Amino acid sequence: MFQIYLPIAEISVNLLVMLSLGAAVGFLSGMFGVGGGFLLTPFLMLSGIPPAIAVATGANQIVGTSVSGTLAQWRRGNVDLHMGAILIAGGVAGALVGVLLLKYLRGVGQAGLIISLTYVVFLGTIGALMLWESVNVMRRQRAGKTVSARKSGQHNWIHGLPFKMRFPRSRLYISAIPPLAIGVLVGLLAAFLGVGGGFIMVPAMIYILRMPTNVVVGTSIFQIIFVTAVVTLLQATLNHTLDILLAFLLIIGGVIGGQFGVRAGQKLRGEQLRALLALMVLGVAVRILIDLVARPADLYSIIPATGG
Amino acid sequence: MGVSQLGSILLFLMLLAGAARAQDPLPPAPVIKPGTSQEKVQADISTRQIAIESNFTGIEILIFGSVDFSDARMPSSGTYDVIAVVRGPNDSIVVRKKTRVAGVWVNGPGKTYTDVPGFYAVLSSRPIRAIASDDTLRELGIGLSELDLGRDTAGSPQEQSFESAMIRLMEERNLYTEHDSGVVFIGRSLFRATVALPVNVPTGRYLVEVYLFRDGYLASKTKGSLEVNKAGIEATIYNLAFSKPFLYGLLGIAIAVFAGLMGWFAFRRD
Repeated sequence: MFQIYLPIAEISVNLLVMLSLGAAVGFLSGMFGVGGGFLLTPFLMLSGIPPAIAVATGANQIVGTSVSGTLAQWRRGNVDLHMGAILIAGGVAGALVGVLLLKYLRGVGQAGLIISLTYVVFLGTIGALMLWESVNVMRRQRAGKTVSARKSGQHNWIHGLPFKMRFPRSRLYISAIPPLAIGVLVGLLAAFLGVGGGFIMVPAMIYILRMPTNVVVGTSIFQIIFVTAVVTLLQATLNHTLDILLAFLLIIGGVIGGQFGVRAGQKLRGEQLRALLALMVLGVAVRILIDLVARPADLYSIIPATGG
Repeated sequence: MGVSQLGSILLFLMLLAGAARAQDPLPPAPVIKPGTSQEKVQADISTRQIAIESNFTGIEILIFGSVDFSDARMPSSGTYDVIAVVRGPNDSIVVRKKTRVAGVWVNGPGKTYTDVPGFYAVLSSRPIRAIASDDTLRELGIGLSELDLGRDTAGSPQEQSFESAMIRLMEERNLYTEHDSGVVFIGRSLFRATVALPVNVPTGRYLVEVYLFRDGYLASKTKGSLEVNKAGIEATIYNLAFSKPFLYGLLGIAIAVFAGLMGWFAFRRD
C-alpha cells in the first residue's frame, strides 16, 4: 500500500514515508532557519536511495523550500541583492566544479566515501563550533552579563584586499574576493553534498564579512535558490541523477512542514535553537562516521554500470 | 525475375544455410541420447509485456507448458525433468571490495564484468545437478556456476572470490535465483513454474528457455521471450531525463519554484 516506484532511483518507496521525511526536514529547517539539506540527504541515503541520486534530488528539494523562505525575507527587506549576486557568481562556478568532480568520483567508485567524509568533516566542525558558542552564551546569560554579537566598525584582514565594492544594504565597503570565495565553497558543497550550504554561509557572513545579522539569513537563502537550481540543472544534465518524482514528494512535505517549523521556532530562544541544531548536526555527523569506521556487513559491493 | 535467377538465389540460400550449420559450435550428438524417442516440450509465458508503472513492486510471471509424447515410441518409460532459464538483458556490473585505510572502510579497485545478465533465474523440477551431468549443464550454460562472466572461471582465488561475491550480491537482490523445485508437474505432461521479478529488475528483453530432460539427456528445448519496460509516467520521466536532460532539469526547478510559491501563498500571514 502507498508504494511508489521512483523512475530514476529505480526502487519502490513508501509514499507516506517520503512525504513525512520531507515534512520533518521542512519543519526543522523552518524552525532553525536552515535549508535542511544536511539532514535530508543523509536520511535519503539511509533509506536506500543511491548517494548520487540523493544528492541531486536533495538540491532540487532545497530550491522549493528556499523560494518560500526567500519571499518571507524579501518582504521584510532582508535581502542584500549586491552581496547575493557576488555569492551567486561564486556559487555557480563552485557548483560546476562540484558536479564534475562528483561525476569523476562516481566513475572510480569513490563518490559515496568522499560524500560521507565531507559530511563528517563539515557537520562535525560546524556542529562543534555552534554548540560551543551557544553553550557559552547560555552560561554567560546565566551569569547575568549582556552579550553583543557583532562589534560594528571593526576592521580585519578582509579590508586589505583589492576589488572593493559597495554593498549599501549591508552598509559595507569591502573587497569582492571574500564573498566570491565563500560562494565558490558553498556551490561546491551544494553540488557535492546536496545541501544549500546555509550552515556554512551564515557564520561566514557574520564572522568574516561582518554583515549585519538582519540581512544574513535573507541573503543566504536568496543565494541558495539560485545555486541549488544550477546544481539541479547540472546534475540532471551531466549525471542523470535527478529523480523528479522523489523531489516532488519531498517538496510537498517540505513546504508544509516548513511553515509549521517557522511557528515552532518563534517560541524558542535563539541560543537554545542553536544548541539544539548543533546537537542534531553532530548527531548526523556521528551517524555517518560510524558507517565509515564500522566493519561493513559485506565487504563487497556491486554497482550496475547504468544505475546510480 | 526469371526461373534460373530464382533458382540461383535458392541455391545460394541453401549453401548459406549449409555453411551456418557447419559452423554450429554445439554438436547435438553428446546431449541428446541417440536412438531414443523424440518427445517435444512446448511452453509459453503468462505475461509477455511487463510494464513498470508507479505502483510497480515486482511481478510474478508464470511459465507453463506441456511435454508432447505424440511422437514417442515408448511414452511410459523414463524420468522427465524440466529446467526453465530466464535471462535478462546483459549489462556491465562493477564489483568492489572494501579495505580498511586509516580506520575508514574504502572501496578498493573494482572488477568490471562487462557482459553479464542483469537477471538470471533457473527453475527446475529437481536440483539441476540431479537432472543432468555437470558437462551437460556447462554445455547448455545452465546454472549460476555456469554463468559466462566473460573470463576464465578457473582464475586466481582472488578473481573467484570477486565472482562469487557478485553472484551472492545479485542473489541477495533477488536478481539471480536458482529454484530447485520451481518447476511443478501437474500430472505427467503439464508443468508450471513461477518466476518472481523483483522491483529492481532491469528493463529490456528477457530470454526464456525451457529444457526437457529425459534420463539425464536433453530431449527437447523451446525458447520464448518477454519485454520489461517502463510505462506511463515512469517511462515519460525516465525518457525525458535521458533524452532531454536540460529540459528535465528545468522542469525539476520549475516544479520546486511553483511548490515553494504555492506554499508561501497558502501559509503567509502578513
